[in-house]
Amino acid sequence: MAQGQILAGFLAPHPPHLVYGENPPQNEPRSEGGWEPLRWAYERARASLDALKPDVLLVHSPHWMTQLGHHFLGVRNLSGKSVDPIFPNLFRYTFDLTVDVELAEACCANAREAGLVAKMMRNPGFRVDYGTITTLHLIRPQWDIPVVGISANNSPYYLNTKEGLHEMDVLGRATRKAIEDTGRRAVLLASNTLSHWHFHEEPAIPEDMSQEHPARYDGYKWDMRMIDLMRRGRTREVFQLLPQFIEEAFAEVKSGAFTWMFSAMGYPEIPGELHGYGTVIGTGNAVMEWNLVKAGLVRDARAAVSA
Amino acid sequence: MSIVAAFLVPGSPLPMLRPDNLPWGRIAAGLQRAARALAAARPDVLLVYSTQWLAVLDELWLTRPECAGVHVDENWYEFGDLPYRVRVDTELAHACVAATRRIGVQSKGVDYDGFPIDSGTIVAQHFLDAEARVPIVAAANNLYHSPEQTEQLGALAAQLAHEQGKRAAVIGIGGLSGSILRDEIDIRADRIARTEDDQWNRRVLDLIERADVAGLRAVLPQFRAEARADMGFKHFSWLLGALGGRFYGARTHAYGPVYGSGAAVVEFTL
Ligand SMILES: [Fe+2]
Repeated sequence: MAQGQILAGFLAPHPPHLVYGENPPQNEPRSEGGWEPLRWAYERARASLDALKPDVLLVHSPHWMTQLGHHFLGVRNLSGKSVDPIFPNLFRYTFDLTVDVELAEACCANAREAGLVAKMMRNPGFRVDYGTITTLHLIRPQWDIPVVGISANNSPYYLNTKEGLHEMDVLGRATRKAIEDTGRRAVLLASNTLSHWHFHEEPAIPEDMSQEHPARYDGYKWDMRMIDLMRRGRTREVFQLLPQFIEEAFAEVKSGAFTWMFSAMGYPEIPGELHGYGTVIGTGNAVMEWNLVKAGLVRDARAAVSA
Repeated sequence: MSIVAAFLVPGSPLPMLRPDNLPWGRIAAGLQRAARALAAARPDVLLVYSTQWLAVLDELWLTRPECAGVHVDENWYEFGDLPYRVRVDTELAHACVAATRRIGVQSKGVDYDGFPIDSGTIVAQHFLDAEARVPIVAAANNLYHSPEQTEQLGALAAQLAHEQGKRAAVIGIGGLSGSILRDEIDIRADRIARTEDDQWNRRVLDLIERADVAGLRAVLPQFRAEARADMGFKHFSWLLGALGGRFYGARTHAYGPVYGSGAAVVEFTL
């Protein structure tokens, strides 16, 4: 078996509004559209992902928050209707996903070996969180690639940002090793919004884009500062600034997905490709891609042929 | 007076999933005693607020006449499933949605098939009224609401129940101290995570039992900060609001740990 590798990582935020705006058959509510620039950003990300033809998508979601360690979906098939507890008016989505249990188990075992508390979720009635489902739909609406779903341990909130993100860093390295050992060609998805200041009341028509704008100017400026660094490949600076960004922009990257993803990729100093940026109820969302194949950091015969 | 009974109950699913585990079984037994007291009060409606039903935009109220299903807790799935059935007093719930503008809060009803009822509401329903004989009015914990606003919401719900001529019981669902055990433990030896938390819990329960509302108001900010009280102890604010800030005593039916955090079943004397 060839050694597995990470082909790319995407910053892939999960506002259910984007699914609502798209009106896919799986989602019950109907909209008049909305948030088009962000949805078109995801269209570009989808095309990139398609060219990579990965074996598996790994997603770390802040809306499966666990208190006792880091958890991994561990049931081969999970299906049902996911109703967003915060936005039930926008997101009632029928899903059916396949889990790469072997890889999930390898991630879990490595995480334990690295000293983290880690657990496999084996209950077939489990309701997959809406962050995981939204990110997966937005990046791959065909649902034809197996996934590994990873919970967000609450350590950044319960302990502090530094200790929590250190755990995510360890989790990232454990994930990378599992991907290599199992021979998977993997894409990582960090399901995180950037600045997270938001409005507290919803417009009568949620998709009325005359109401959509950054909730706070300082949040917007922080997003641009971070995206600018990411686009220039200045990863070290991004991570130096991350705690301050989290603090001052109330950024959702605090939950750890972004750190997990970069740790797994080895914090590459390569330019991230911004597919698009937009706000959702005032929060800042960037769809970005770090393609390790294009950057020449990974040699991948299959992706090269298809690209 | 329209409030005929009041209880604080824990929202952790552990006593429901594993009552055979002694520390959690004690809490389950306390909940069963509370259920008997609740039934004796013959309420027409339960005014329910669970710290685990989170909202961020607007205040949400259940407006679906009946919700039933099987929930799997996102933390404690390994211990089994949580079957549930709740019935909603939609007349009162709609009145609450319409009325919160008065206190500067925008509200929305939640009437969707498959809506994820939170573990806390399910656990309280299971122990206090498993057959769902009494309909509920359930309000979400908006993360941006202060304890004071939550008290106003509780007061509003009680007042509207009174206006509709209903005998209401108020139920605050949530924990005491919020420090948790972060490693796998022998569940038979569950304990309050920190001694200081245990002291805080006992102090707050003592003030509640003595109906020292002024004393409670004075120490709760410190309790919230020092003992990581579950969601700012807003389930108590809800209850206090519904009681008009007054009760005459309380009885603690159970107190103990649920994976390190504090849990108590408290019946108020009205
Ligand atoms: Fe989120």
